[in-house]
Amino acid sequence: MTGYIVRRCIAALIIAIGVTAVVYALLAFTGGSPAVAALGTHANRYTIAAWNKTHGYDRPLVVQIASYISNLVQFKFGYSYKQGQSVGALLNENAGRTAYLSGTALVLALLIAIPLGIAQAVKRNSPGDYIATTATFTLYSMPSFFLGLILIQIFALDLHVFPALVSDNVTTTWEAVTHPMQLTLPIVTLAGLTVAGFSRYMRSSALDVLAQDYIRLARAKGLAERFVLTRHLLRNACLPIITLVGLSIPGLLAGNIITEGLFNYPGLGLLFFDSLQNLDYPVLLAYTVIGGVLTVIGNLIADIAVTVADPRIRVG
Amino acid sequence: MAEIGAQQMVEGIPPLGSPNIPTTAPEGGDVQILASGWRLALREFFSNRLAIVGLGVLVFFVVFSFAGPLFYHTNQSLTNPLTGDLAPSWGHVVGTDDNGFDELGRMMAGGQTALEIGFFAAFMATVIGTLYGALSGLAGGIVDAVLMRFVDILLSIPLLFIVLVLATRYSATVVSQSLIIGLFSWQIPARLVRGEVLTLRERDFVAATRIMGGTQTRLIIRHLIPNALSVVIVNITFLIADSILLIAYLGFLGFGLSYPIASWGDMLGNAQNAVTSGYWWLVFPVGGCLVLVVMACNLVGDALRDAFDVRLRRR
Repeated sequence: MTGYIVRRCIAALIIAIGVTAVVYALLAFTGGSPAVAALGTHANRYTIAAWNKTHGYDRPLVVQIASYISNLVQFKFGYSYKQGQSVGALLNENAGRTAYLSGTALVLALLIAIPLGIAQAVKRNSPGDYIATTATFTLYSMPSFFLGLILIQIFALDLHVFPALVSDNVTTTWEAVTHPMQLTLPIVTLAGLTVAGFSRYMRSSALDVLAQDYIRLARAKGLAERFVLTRHLLRNACLPIITLVGLSIPGLLAGNIITEGLFNYPGLGLLFFDSLQNLDYPVLLAYTVIGGVLTVIGNLIADIAVTVADPRIRVG
Repeated sequence: MAEIGAQQMVEGIPPLGSPNIPTTAPEGGDVQILASGWRLALREFFSNRLAIVGLGVLVFFVVFSFAGPLFYHTNQSLTNPLTGDLAPSWGHVVGTDDNGFDELGRMMAGGQTALEIGFFAAFMATVIGTLYGALSGLAGGIVDAVLMRFVDILLSIPLLFIVLVLATRYSATVVSQSLIIGLFSWQIPARLVRGEVLTLRERDFVAATRIMGGTQTRLIIRHLIPNALSVVIVNITFLIADSILLIAYLGFLGFGLSYPIASWGDMLGNAQNAVTSGYWWLVFPVGGCLVLVVMACNLVGDALRDAFDVRLRRR
């Protein structure tokens, strides 16, 4: 198994380097020149050329990519000329709040999707199953901002339970954690989308497990149904969920951009959105690369976790 | 004993003498064709009630978006602030927006761009993906490994990020946005087609074609492509749904089509203010259209997958 993990890690490393190179090259080719960001749009081409030379942007693309990667390894993410501070500091400032939003949303989604999927599978083709299937299928087809707008209409404007926007007073991660009312709608919006993705798989995975002989055996030997469900069904049906959690990272990152933009919650998503409007390419480049690398790491951890959790697919 | 036999019969192969199955295996002579796989799949598809609903919704939106403006004339080019933000009435069935455009007319125009971008992006992604996947699968070896690692790399880049970054660089037209989305969403069809080609390559009918002297072209055109096509067709509906959602996200974030081209996402870009101002008609009808179209695509996709999956097919 160690051999498999080592091979899998090397493959992930190669893909992560590839992601960085492709994103860097794409941005370089599509012309997001950092010189224009630094000197302004009125700079003439001689000043731009001089600036490029002093900052190393006149080197061959491969060399630029290699130096960018070597900087990334040292956690140097470049400099945002629009905001006048290093990209690393900007990311660091916002990462906590985004991690809190995504983390709680992911946990909430798992807490809903796993029991829901199992209940649907156990009571399959019942009215409850149909209602749940319809609800998750609708959520699955819904843009996240529309779910957020519906929640704002109902819970903020009609019922006055939660605020429609996250208050400007929530500026630190600690304040985000200690103001649950402020964050309920963003968390539920992000979780709703994740539930939609998870519960369909959870239901079919639980259905597969229910058809297995060991479930029949557990029932035949007289094991109480709740132990059949918790000890045999739950543990086996959750195996595909491990992979899904790993695969959910790009969805969560994209969801962050939308949700943070909709609720005006200061995090990495809002930073990315502001950088898009300012054409702040160093930030866009860094966050896209980080998003890609996180995706690679998510897949890697999921693959390894599944091999550890499931002895049947343990290799060599 | 008799009972067990009957049970096995139901689950397994029909008994000899069953009307649909030839009683003797044809030896060298004509092979009796029961029905082509495509016809069986089609029959299965149309017996699925949800599929019919999904197809109906899609047809409705095509008619609504493309034929609707022929019957429901509205002004979608000249703004008129005096008639802005009017609530639904007989004159404006779904009210008017900030610029005084009739909202129902704008929903039709937005439906056109959503469907156009969805179909065009999905078509392009499918063509690129099919060619790439078939090439990779047929080449095999080191070429296949390198090509597929490149797909892994592209799959790891969050699609919304790269599409947003590119959308800031290029003029926002239906064609440019379809191109951006299509050029970055062909990885899944490529993987699917490659997987199909890899298994098909080893199948007996491929060997049989070769032994009987079939050319490489015949093999690809008559056997590999038709057999891999079902996977591609199923995937294309999901691609359309994803592209429509993606274009809505772009519009919502303010990187959608250039004014005055309408798109559902752009119409929802100001939805936050519309909701808090109580202009519900500017938010929920458009959002409803988006959800319905995406849901219809997903329903049709699910039904097609079930129809093409022989293992799920009722006997």
